[in-house]
Amino acid sequence: MTPLVALHDVTYRYPDRTPALAGVTLAIEPGERVALLGPTGAGKSTLLQLLNGLLRPDTGAVRMDGTAITDDTVAAVRRRVGLVFQNPDDQLFLPSLIEDVAFGPLNAGATRDAASARAHAVLESLGLSAAHDRAAHHLSGGERRLAALATVLVSDPDLLALDEPSGDLDARSRRRLLDILGGRREALLVATHDLELVRGLCRRALVLVGGRLEWDGALDALLADRAMLEGFGLVA
Amino acid sequence: MSFHHLDQFAHVGSAVTRVPPAGRLVGTVVLALAVATLPPGAWSQLGFLALLSLALLAIARIPPAVVLARLAWPLGFVLLASAALLVVIPGDPVVRLGPLTLTAQGADRFAAVMGRAMVALLPAVLLVSTTGFPELLQGLRDLRVPIAVATALGLAYRLLYLTVDELERLQRAARSRNAGGGAARRRHLVAAMAGATLGRAFVRAERTHAAMLARGFRGTLPLLHVTPWTAGAALNLVGVCGLALAVAASARLP
Repeated sequence: MTPLVALHDVTYRYPDRTPALAGVTLAIEPGERVALLGPTGAGKSTLLQLLNGLLRPDTGAVRMDGTAITDDTVAAVRRRVGLVFQNPDDQLFLPSLIEDVAFGPLNAGATRDAASARAHAVLESLGLSAAHDRAAHHLSGGERRLAALATVLVSDPDLLALDEPSGDLDARSRRRLLDILGGRREALLVATHDLELVRGLCRRALVLVGGRLEWDGALDALLADRAMLEGFGLVA
Repeated sequence: MSFHHLDQFAHVGSAVTRVPPAGRLVGTVVLALAVATLPPGAWSQLGFLALLSLALLAIARIPPAVVLARLAWPLGFVLLASAALLVVIPGDPVVRLGPLTLTAQGADRFAAVMGRAMVALLPAVLLVSTTGFPELLQGLRDLRVPIAVATALGLAYRLLYLTVDELERLQRAARSRNAGGGAARRRHLVAAMAGATLGRAFVRAERTHAAMLARGFRGTLPLLHVTPWTAGAALNLVGVCGLALAVAASARLP
């Protein structure tokens, strides 16, 4: 069976030639929930951006349904990989929330009416209907996180790639995010330091350390091994 | 920091908000031009254009207190800039204030400048009160303003808040460490903070661009809401513009 996304021996260096990823090979199946763990600077955000086609590997290949990401396929890939950035302020750039949420469908060619209907439906499902005409700077931190999530959920992606989704969330907002993510059916790749967040959400874990994939296996087994967690720099 | 109150009447349904944003922009420019091109002394025409603008503000259901509040700041600047006219225009002395002499001709010119400024600002108040920022962008694009300019304005609206937030964070960090001292140190601090803010704004712009690309951005900001033209809206716009131009032209008749 062809995986939903696959990286084969991927290497990526930043423009200043600093290595970010080295020889990473992995595959994610449809509907699979995967935690992407690793200390700061391990290459987690870079890996997410490679999956969305924002970055291209120096060597190796990133494939979606067996098709390599190229200039010809990147638009389709971006419709199927919903990437939520670490800082929601980077993701919410339009004057009102409803426009931000409708941005993806409109870019994909949806009519205004269809995009608006889908955006309103997603906002309602996240409890943000009342904020639809507000600007992002008038939303609370928790609302902004959910709003950023709404901007990709609206496109019905096959893979949700979330970069530190629980950062600066209070306990209630965090619980709400967990409930929302727990109810999703698409594949999930959550890059985070928050082990508690992924404990109830994911079954599989990938651990990046210094740009190398050091662990690909069951999350429970990883979390049960204190020495390994310390070795990877995931706990102090 | 918030500009959200500016377009608080954009959702009030009226004959004004039923005119698409491009039409509102054109109407504003025509009314302002009609006022600006009035010859000196055309007080009756100026009064008529003021009544026309006030009628439009009433139709848009903008309270007089809001109109006055929004006129206050720009009129304050006009007042400062034109107060010198009272004493620098030579003519018949009216009042002497020490070395300064207020002349009748100066008072006339001052009143003309203030009157025109006030009447020309009324349609601008109408525009910003009834038109949300996304609608303004739509209007600019409909008027064939280059897409890059309209897109840059749209993003600037959002990034402005983020940049100010960034600056405020830097200021708080500086204050928390007892920033201050002499004027030279303060100047150095302001320059350093301005540089840091610009640098961070640039980095943020890069990240925002990546976030846009990730959702399929291909160079044009798509618009969600479009106010369609109707025969009624077009007739209203043509009527108001025609009336304003006719009034302005009447002031030039022999």
